[in-house]
Amino acid sequence: MTVTESLAQHVVDSLVAELAPVLGDEHVLTSKTARWNRARVPAPFPVHRWSERVPDLVVLPASTEEVAHVVRVANKYSVAIVPRDGGTGLTDGAVPERRGIVVDVKRMNQIHEIDLENGTCTVGVGINMLKLNEVLGKHGFIYPDDPASYPCSLIGGRIGTSGWSLVGSRYGHSRDLVLSFDMVLPTGETITVGDGGGQKLTKSSSGYQLKHLFMGHQGTLGIATRATLKLFPKPEAEFSPFWAFADYETAYRAVGALPRAGVATFAGAVLFDEWKVDYLRRDDEAYIPQPSSVKALVCAVAYGNEDEVRAGGRRLMRIARDLGARYLGDEISEGDWAARHDRYATPLHGRTRNGQVAPMSWHCEDAAINYTRLPAVRVAWHGILDRLRRDYDVFDDWGMFAYTSGNTGLDYLTEIDVGIWEQELDDRAWAAWVDAKREIAAVSLAHGGSISACHGSCREGEVDLVPEELGGAYEVMLKIKRALDPNNVMNPGKYGLDRAYRTEDS
Amino acid sequence: MAYRYDEQSTPPAAEQVTDVAITRFEHVFEVDPRLMAEHVTQQTFPNWDTLRIVRSRTDHLAWMHAHWCTTVVSGEELLAELDAE
Ligand SMILES: Cc1cc2nc3c(=O)[nH]c(=O)nc-3n(C[C@H](O)[C@H](O)[C@H](O)COP(=O)(O)OP(=O)(O)OC[C@H]3O[C@@H](n4cnc5c(N)ncnc54)[C@H](O)[C@@H]3O)c2cc1C
Repeated sequence: MTVTESLAQHVVDSLVAELAPVLGDEHVLTSKTARWNRARVPAPFPVHRWSERVPDLVVLPASTEEVAHVVRVANKYSVAIVPRDGGTGLTDGAVPERRGIVVDVKRMNQIHEIDLENGTCTVGVGINMLKLNEVLGKHGFIYPDDPASYPCSLIGGRIGTSGWSLVGSRYGHSRDLVLSFDMVLPTGETITVGDGGGQKLTKSSSGYQLKHLFMGHQGTLGIATRATLKLFPKPEAEFSPFWAFADYETAYRAVGALPRAGVATFAGAVLFDEWKVDYLRRDDEAYIPQPSSVKALVCAVAYGNEDEVRAGGRRLMRIARDLGARYLGDEISEGDWAARHDRYATPLHGRTRNGQVAPMSWHCEDAAINYTRLPAVRVAWHGILDRLRRDYDVFDDWGMFAYTSGNTGLDYLTEIDVGIWEQELDDRAWAAWVDAKREIAAVSLAHGGSISACHGSCREGEVDLVPEELGGAYEVMLKIKRALDPNNVMNPGKYGLDRAYRTEDS
Repeated sequence: MAYRYDEQSTPPAAEQVTDVAITRFEHVFEVDPRLMAEHVTQQTFPNWDTLRIVRSRTDHLAWMHAHWCTTVVSGEELLAELDAE
């Protein structure tokens, strides 16, 4: 990883002098706390290297015009700009790897419009889904983008990552739910992208479909400021059964059969493997008392009108029962599901090889994997973690899950959760971790999957394999990046996009 | 930090639940203290605070259900219906 020097003080002073009159003195921050607190995200990192990615200043704009001003100033001084919203992203997208200006968009958190007739709302990108739904609920609506970071990730970050939702098999993911948004391009112009020119359309065939391009780019193609979202009726009922299985293979069949049942209220199904069950047995009150015959778990979720959820729920229960599952009961099922909207509540400790508790932060490597490849990916991934743990007693295998991305059982968000003792990460252990990440990504590609279904793939390690994954499409990415961001100011250093600026002799 | 009443900070006797977990209050599990000896040590904790944390978690989960929908369908009920078929 290259380390960028901080800007010279006179450059910082010039930036402040250009920005403060437009944004207000109190919204241009240079204090140590303001900058260090926006230096990283929850993805693990060797703590002793924190200082390498501290921004030079932080701005808190309140409008699209103010964001555009910041972007123009950054171009004038050739200074990096990094958009940051909730700061919960797990691929280092909001980390200012080249320092410069962090654009914290959280002040743009207004609800501009709720269109009850068409079922949309228009919001600033600094708003959080939970807070938005508290207001929408009063009108009988819900915005069902539901990551496991539901209480703390924000709309702009959902756009920047093209996020994945726990109930996406029923309602779609961020890309389906965000209808359109205003976008400040890397050179400071503002455009609106969505389906066609209308801001509230779900389907248009007019022109290039740019919405997808401007979602999931991790802040490398500009800054979204205001978004129009698709709303659904707030569901009357929810159903979230958890079942125990005596072996992985039967649980695997269940997690394939549940989405294929064609239940219209089906919102997701997830399979927890043997390693995950072992992990839960250590620290999770629902699973500590489970008998040792429990080797794998499956959960299904359904939302909608009560009569439909009941009818569909009966069908899901029958599928699981016929496969020999044991229902874990209402208390565990309901409690565990409610807890899934907020995974910050996971225990922040793991175990060393001798079983002692050590402070560890949670990390997950994710991929998009087809149903038929799930068993093989699981074996290969645990093998990688096993070797890593044997060599370095600062990693802990917290198990895997496979979660439906749609309602036909085609592909699954597949994650391996890893506990990492960050304070003990030295440069060698970090390098071994980066190698392991690269290996994990290589397994996903070897099985015809994608390096990420959820978080993005621009961290050290897996990012090296993105050109291999995308092939010729990666070359197009480079051309787009260079065309839209000629000065390479928008979140530079991510996705290996610096390659777009290399000349023959460099 | 010292609490005024020692008995408030004296938890009920532990019962071993598994090789890695104990329980002192009904349905409240704790990591076996023997596993918290090297890198992370346990703190003295008033009993009422343990129970407050457990209850507030239950409150949070109930809040989350109500936030998403009006009714939570019971799997036990559906299973009874299926078994009766
Ligand atoms: C406990 C936990 C559980 C999680 N579960 C899920 C999950 O189930 N599904 C899922 O998808 N993710 C999950 N994540 C990851 C994370 O929450 C998502 O990636 C989320 O979309 C990030 O949102 P944020 O507001 O925190 O964005 P940030 O972390 O601030 O930013 C994320 C990326 O978007 C860019 N960005 C931010 N704002 C803008 C903007 N206005 N315009 C353009 N780009 C912008 C940033 O530069 C960065 O590259 C989880 C994270 C945690 C910690």
